[in-house]
Amino acid sequence: MSLRTLTTLALPLALALLATVVYAHNAICDCFDNGDETITCEGGFSDGGTAVGVALRVFDQAGKVLIEGVMSEHSDFTFPKPKVDYRVEFDAGQGHVVTIDGRDIEE
Amino acid sequence: MIGLASSAAEAHFQLLYTPEAALNEAAAIPLALVFSHPFDNGYTMDMGTPEAFYVISQRGDTEPRTTDLTQYLEPIEWSGVDSQAAAFVAHPPRSVTRSLGDYTFVLRPAPYYESQEDKYIQQITKTVVNIGGLPGSWDQPLGLPVEIVPLDKPYANWVGGVFRAVVLAGGKPVPHAEIEVEYLNHEPQIDAHRFDPEGKVTAPQDSFTTLSIRADAQGQVIIGLPKAGWWGICALNLDDDSQHEGKELSVDAVLWIKATDMTK
Repeated sequence: MSLRTLTTLALPLALALLATVVYAHNAICDCFDNGDETITCEGGFSDGGTAVGVALRVFDQAGKVLIEGVMSEHSDFTFPKPKVDYRVEFDAGQGHVVTIDGRDIEE
Repeated sequence: MIGLASSAAEAHFQLLYTPEAALNEAAAIPLALVFSHPFDNGYTMDMGTPEAFYVISQRGDTEPRTTDLTQYLEPIEWSGVDSQAAAFVAHPPRSVTRSLGDYTFVLRPAPYYESQEDKYIQQITKTVVNIGGLPGSWDQPLGLPVEIVPLDKPYANWVGGVFRAVVLAGGKPVPHAEIEVEYLNHEPQIDAHRFDPEGKVTAPQDSFTTLSIRADAQGQVIIGLPKAGWWGICALNLDDDSQHEGKELSVDAVLWIKATDMTK
């Protein structure tokens, strides 16, 4: 499974956050392999909200940041395919984090 | 009376079928294009080569993207319960549908000559699929000559709910449009090129095979969704002046929507 959605309500932080902001939507992110040694990740929210400017980080297995960027004006981010095992984190802030294992990313 | 019952009017429906309307993750989406009578697995009609077959996809508020699908059309013989007819299947690769968002598949079939009525029928058909729960342009008109524009997400409907849409011709609502609604009672089996011979429900009387309703004064249609599966909505004869090869052409708009059971 390459797609991960996460609700704010499912997180331990939820109660603290509910006091200020209530989210009725989920963060959504998915990635595909372009077949040319690059990976594209797309993001958004279940209410159709844009992911422009949302942080995206690529980690190796040891947790070291390999690549860091933000979603483009098209709510996507393309990066060179790492040569090592990796995971992608789409971090929309305030508990909206989606993690994707590189092994699940298909063409 | 039996003869009368079996030959009673049923609705022609252009199918633009795929098994799932709401996918959790990107996948190749198989399609079957069949012109038939979906409630009772009735007479299936020959399709000519479609005039257009494409998908419009949109993720969030990014620009909609149009992908021509005609290269994936595969002519086949489709088996109805007692008839075989020319139809098409299509297996676009995963790369066509690997982005998140809404995918509105559009089919503009070749006009079909209906000899019983000495006229042509062309049903411009839409089926909307979503990937990943990220919405797109499901509620937008596509600028088709005739179309049914959803007011509710066509792929996110609970059984027992209602579905609303507006009938447009030339971009304008069609007051009191004549509408037919049918339940896709015999599930298409794309790889076997046939309908499941086993239906899911039985009509107690002929009026229930095709539900005939009217749009309201604003061209709006509301239907209930009592059973899980695909429901077809067809707005009939939306352009009075249309002709094809010197004969009347009924230009119809079809929209397929899917209802899903509330389960754990």
